[in-house]
Amino acid sequence: MDILTIFVAAVLVNNFVFYYFLGICPFLGVSKKLDSALSMGLAVTFVMTLTAVTSWMINHWLLIPFGLGYLQIVSFILVIAALVQLVEMFIRKMSPPLYQALGIYLPLISTNCAIMGLALLASLKGYGFIETVVFGIGSGLGFTLAIVLMAGIREQLDLADVPEPLKGAGITLIVTGIMALAFSGFSGMIK
Amino acid sequence: MSLSARMVVVLTVVGLISGTFLALVGTMTEDRIEMNRQSEIQKAIIELIPETESSRKIYEEKSLTVYESLDENENTVGFAVYASGTGFQDVITLMYGIDPSISKMRDLLILDQKETPGLGAKIADEESFLRFWENRNCENPLALRKPAVDSPEKLAPSEVNAITGATISSEKVLGIVNSSLARLREIKEEGKLSSEGGNVN
Amino acid sequence: MSTKKSLSEEYLKGLWSENPIFKQLLGMCATLAVTNAVINGIAMGLATSFVLIFSSVVISSIKKLIPNQVRIAAYIVVIASFVTVADRFLAAFFPPISKALGPYVPLIVVNCIILGRQEAFSSRNSVGRSFIDALGMSSGFILALLILSSIREVLGSGTFLGHQVMGSWFKPWIVMILPAGAFITLGVLLAIFMLIETKTRKRSA
Repeated sequence: MDILTIFVAAVLVNNFVFYYFLGICPFLGVSKKLDSALSMGLAVTFVMTLTAVTSWMINHWLLIPFGLGYLQIVSFILVIAALVQLVEMFIRKMSPPLYQALGIYLPLISTNCAIMGLALLASLKGYGFIETVVFGIGSGLGFTLAIVLMAGIREQLDLADVPEPLKGAGITLIVTGIMALAFSGFSGMIK
Repeated sequence: MSLSARMVVVLTVVGLISGTFLALVGTMTEDRIEMNRQSEIQKAIIELIPETESSRKIYEEKSLTVYESLDENENTVGFAVYASGTGFQDVITLMYGIDPSISKMRDLLILDQKETPGLGAKIADEESFLRFWENRNCENPLALRKPAVDSPEKLAPSEVNAITGATISSEKVLGIVNSSLARLREIKEEGKLSSEGGNVN
Repeated sequence: MSTKKSLSEEYLKGLWSENPIFKQLLGMCATLAVTNAVINGIAMGLATSFVLIFSSVVISSIKKLIPNQVRIAAYIVVIASFVTVADRFLAAFFPPISKALGPYVPLIVVNCIILGRQEAFSSRNSVGRSFIDALGMSSGFILALLILSSIREVLGSGTFLGHQVMGSWFKPWIVMILPAGAFITLGVLLAIFMLIETKTRKRSA
C-alpha cells in the first residue's frame, strides 16, 4: 500500500472510531463541546504520531531482533504511559497556554484504546517506518474528524427534545452508528 | 529504605517477575503458534494443488510469496502463490495454484478479507465465483464476466465470474491475481524463481 | 468504613447495578468490536474475565507492598502480563478465534474495566473480596456481550453460534454486523437499561 492510500484509508475508509471502534471512551466523553473536542483530537493525533514512531522502534530494534514478541503488549503499554507523562510535563513547562488547552486531556489518553490500538495495528499490518508514521498521523486526524463532527452534532442535540432514557450515551451511540453508516460510503475509494 | 529506593526496587521486582513469567509463556506457546501459521499455508497449498507431496517457499517479497509444489519424485507440479492487496474495505489475502509454466490456473482460495458481509464477503465462499477458476488460461490477464454465468463452458478461457452485487470486491480480487501473475513472470525472467529459500516442511 | 456488602451482594452488583458496560459505560471498544458473532463475544468475555480475575487476585495480594506513586505502573505490568498470556493462549490453541478477535485481545490491557477495578476495589480490599468482585464484574461483562452479540448475530446473519435459527423467509439485516449496527444496538440497549432502572426506582420510591 502506498503512503497516500494508507493516509486516506486511515482518515476516512478505516476510521479509528467508525470502523475500528477505538477511542470510544474519549469520543463519548469529550465530544460535548466543539473546542474541547478539537483539543482532544489534536492531543490524540500528537500522541499517536509519537507512539507510531516509538512503537515501530521498539518492534524493530528490540522485540523482533531478539525474538521477544511476547513482550510486545507490556512494552507498548508502558512506553505509551511513559510517553504521555513526558509529553504532559514537556507541554506544561514549554507552553502553559498550550497546556491549558490540551494538557488536561493527556492523562485520559494513556489508557485510551486508540493509542494502544494504533501501535498494535501498525505492527499487525507490518508497516515500515514511514508508513507507520503516516498511519499514525492519518488515524489521529481521522479520530479528530470524528470527534469534531460528533461535537457539532451534540451541540445541536442538546437543544433538541431527546426522550429521557436515550439521553446521554444512548442517543450519542445511535448518532455514532448513523455516522458510521455514512462513513462506510467511503469504502472502495482507494485503488 | 527510602521511598525512591523502595519504588525502584518494587518496580524492578515486578518487572523481573513478569518478564520471566512472560518469557516462559512466550516460549511455551511460540512453537504452537508458528505451527498454526504454517499449517494454514500448508493446508491451502494441498487444497490448491492436490498432488503436492512437499512444498517449499522459493520467493518472498512485500505482498507476494511463492511456494513450489513438488511430487514424490521432487518434480515441480506447480506453484502456490500467496498474494495480498487492497480490497474494497481492507486488505484481501489470497492464494492460488498455478501450473509450472504459469499459463493455467489451478484454483483460488481467499484467506483473509474484511469486505462487506453478505455482499463483498461472498468472494470467500460464493460457489459461482470460486468454482470456475480451475483451468483458466492466464497467459493474458484474467477478465471479469458480468452478469455471472452458471457453467464454466459459457466463460471465455480467460474469464471468471463476477459476483452480482459485489463487482468491486470481485474486481479487487482479480486485480490482485493479475498483478501478482505479472510480477511472477517478471521474477521468472530474472531467474529468481529457482529453488532456494527456506524449506516450508 | 461503610457497612460491608455480603459476598453475594459483592458478586451480584457486577451483573446489574454496577454492570461495567450498561451502567459504568466502560470497555466499550471491545464490546462493539467483537460482538458481531456470539462465539466471538463469548471468547472475548472469557479472555477479559481471565485477565480481570487473575489481575485482581494478584494485585490484591501485593497491594501492601507497592508504594502509592508507582501503583499504576505496577498494575499495568500485571494486567499486561495476563493479557499476553490470554493472547498467546488463544493464538496457540484457538487460531481461528484469535484471528477473528484480532488486535482486540491485546487491547484488553486498556480496557478501563480492568484498571478501574484495581483502583476502585482490589487495591483496598481483601483477596477473597477482590476475587468475588472480579467474578461479578466478569459475569456482568459476559452477560452484556452475550446480549449484544446475540442480537447482532441473529438479526445480522440469521444464525446463533453459527447455526441457522431464522428461517429462509428472513433477509438478514446486514447492517447489524457492520460497525453502524454495533453502535445503534448498544445505544438502544443502554436506553432500555435506563428505562428499566428508572421504572424500578419509581416503584420502590
